[in-house]
Amino acid sequence: MDDTAETSFVVDEVSNVIKESIEATIGSQSYQQAKINTWTSNIVEAILNSLTKLNKPFKYIVSCVIMQKNGAGLHTASSCFWDNTTDGSCTVRWENKSMYAIVSVFGLSI
Amino acid sequence: MDIQHVYTKKRSEFGRQVIFTDRAVESIADIPPNPDLSREYISRNPVELAIQNVREFSEHWVNTVRFETENRGINHVEGGWPKDINPLEPDQTSRFRKKTEKEDGYSRSMLSLGNLVEHTIKQNNIVDIYENYFQNLQPDVVEEAPYAKTVNIYRDPHNARRTANHISWYADGARKLAVSYCNLEFQSGTNDSFIDSYIWDTENPTKPDLHLKPISPLVCIEFNPKDTHQLVGGCYNGQVCIFDTRKGSTAVEQSLIENSHRDPAYKTVWLQSKSGTEFFSASTDGKILWWDTKKLSEPVETLILDIEKKGRIENALGAMSLEYESTIPTKFMVGTEQGRIISCNRKGKNDAEKIGNVFPGHWGPVYALQRHPNFLKNFLSVGDWTVRIWSEEMRDDCIMWTKPSVHALTDGQWSPTRSSIFFTTKMDGTLDVWDILFKQNEPTLSIQVVDEPLHCLRVEEPHGRLVACGSQNGTVTLVELSDNLCVQGKSEKVLVNGMFDRETRRAKILEARGRARRDARGKSAHGEKTEKATTDGATLESELKEANPIEKAEKDFWKIVDEEKRKRDRKAALAGEKAAAEAGETTQAETAAPTTAETTE
Repeated sequence: MDDTAETSFVVDEVSNVIKESIEATIGSQSYQQAKINTWTSNIVEAILNSLTKLNKPFKYIVSCVIMQKNGAGLHTASSCFWDNTTDGSCTVRWENKSMYAIVSVFGLSI
Repeated sequence: MDIQHVYTKKRSEFGRQVIFTDRAVESIADIPPNPDLSREYISRNPVELAIQNVREFSEHWVNTVRFETENRGINHVEGGWPKDINPLEPDQTSRFRKKTEKEDGYSRSMLSLGNLVEHTIKQNNIVDIYENYFQNLQPDVVEEAPYAKTVNIYRDPHNARRTANHISWYADGARKLAVSYCNLEFQSGTNDSFIDSYIWDTENPTKPDLHLKPISPLVCIEFNPKDTHQLVGGCYNGQVCIFDTRKGSTAVEQSLIENSHRDPAYKTVWLQSKSGTEFFSASTDGKILWWDTKKLSEPVETLILDIEKKGRIENALGAMSLEYESTIPTKFMVGTEQGRIISCNRKGKNDAEKIGNVFPGHWGPVYALQRHPNFLKNFLSVGDWTVRIWSEEMRDDCIMWTKPSVHALTDGQWSPTRSSIFFTTKMDGTLDVWDILFKQNEPTLSIQVVDEPLHCLRVEEPHGRLVACGSQNGTVTLVELSDNLCVQGKSEKVLVNGMFDRETRRAKILEARGRARRDARGKSAHGEKTEKATTDGATLESELKEANPIEKAEKDFWKIVDEEKRKRDRKAALAGEKAAAEAGETTQAETAAPTTAETTE
């Protein structure tokens, strides 16, 4: 079991990493169009950095969507064809007063 | 050829078998539209967006660090003597010097110190940045038209209508002007209302530099050339007074009224003396008085201007103008109210000896009289609508004159720098600049300075660039002349000298010829009246004085008619002569020779 914990995709762990990164980057700032580019790339990079530090045999795909809370709807979905026993994904929906941030991480074992 | 390589690997070494399966669709985000929120937003319409499609530039600048400079000075005083030696005693110091010079280390330390001192001394060899490299360069004679412009106008701050009678320039640079104001209108009765005269700063036309408060209005004022703080003024009541600008507005000294002139003291002139305290004054009462500022209670010397040389005050001529040239201090000239110009010599033992030549002058008062600054035997006089230039050698007639002007002339002066130029002021308010080398029939430049009559002018010395003109209503105008009116040309002096010589010679020839003709006429017609025909001015006048008034008037009348006739003759002769004279020096000399020969026999 220990072995599997070391090499498997632990969703809780990844979800913590994602939340920390978003919180550190955006926090309580309000939506600013001019900063979106830096925010998204900062978040994605911070998550990837933290994930690689876990030293697990995974390839990672990280995507980030930030949406202003202006009453519009948003619907996204994903589907995968992979090894269900080893691979995993984690999606975090985060929000503050003025925006939504939706980050999904896919971990694919080597 | 076929190359084959067989490679074998166990299945277990490949890693786990990968079994891919499909994962059900997973919704990542599902945020429903929220109308409450969207209601809070207003779409911006129209949207304004500015786009600039040019290259962007930026500007940067840097400044070098400021270089701080400072001035330092060292005052070197003698010192370093041992305690027991008094540096003021030459004996002790020289003994000490000899002692040190004999010491062993003296020459060695002198050598090393010498290098040091030499280096320091060389630091002081500064370049003289104000050095004028082109001192001997002749200034270009500018070929532009002469012009003059008004620099400043000094208006009498007091409303009284007074004439600016006389102007004097501050002797030390053209910074100040002393102007005397006095109403000289006959019986105007406002003489005593306001009597201040002023010293003006040329830079400040709004307010006089100093008020001069005399006891009676000043008719003339003159700065002392030796002591620039001192001024002498001639009063309307005949007194003369001394002002000192350091001691305030009131006169520091004034002459006693019983020893002063009986008429306005029209001119005062400082004499050339060692002490710089002597001056003399002239008045229409017919007296010239010499004064010393140290003792103003009575005049040092008195001269009564009786040209019959009998010293009778009732026959004396009233003096209007004075001429005094400091380079010939014993001589002076007086222009009289009656028009005659008297050349005097102060060194004479009595009045008769003091009065020298008498020139016929003008038909009215002589308002200005001045020797030429370069050719002292020639002088200029202003009166009766004309300017006349005289030579001391010619006693009976002037050598040059201007044609009578429409408006009366009031003052005149030579330019101190340009030999051929003189200035005159007229009653119509114009300042005329005459260049006798350029043209004689009309002024080179005529400037309408003010709309009222001009009464006096004074050229600034020694540059001759500024001319101050005083008008009837007390306005003094400062006029600046262009370069070509105050910078002397190369050959100008020679040409002017030549012109004066030529004109003198011409006048002499004409006079000799006229006398010969009169002699001939006198012999043939009136044998007994030849004496009269010789017309020696003085004897004739004395003769007339003794006759009864009616006879005298008759004689006077005929005398004027005669003179007029003679003049016409002379004019006719002159026309012919002038043509010859103008033709050139050489031809003139040729014509001169036979005429003199003819007249002298």
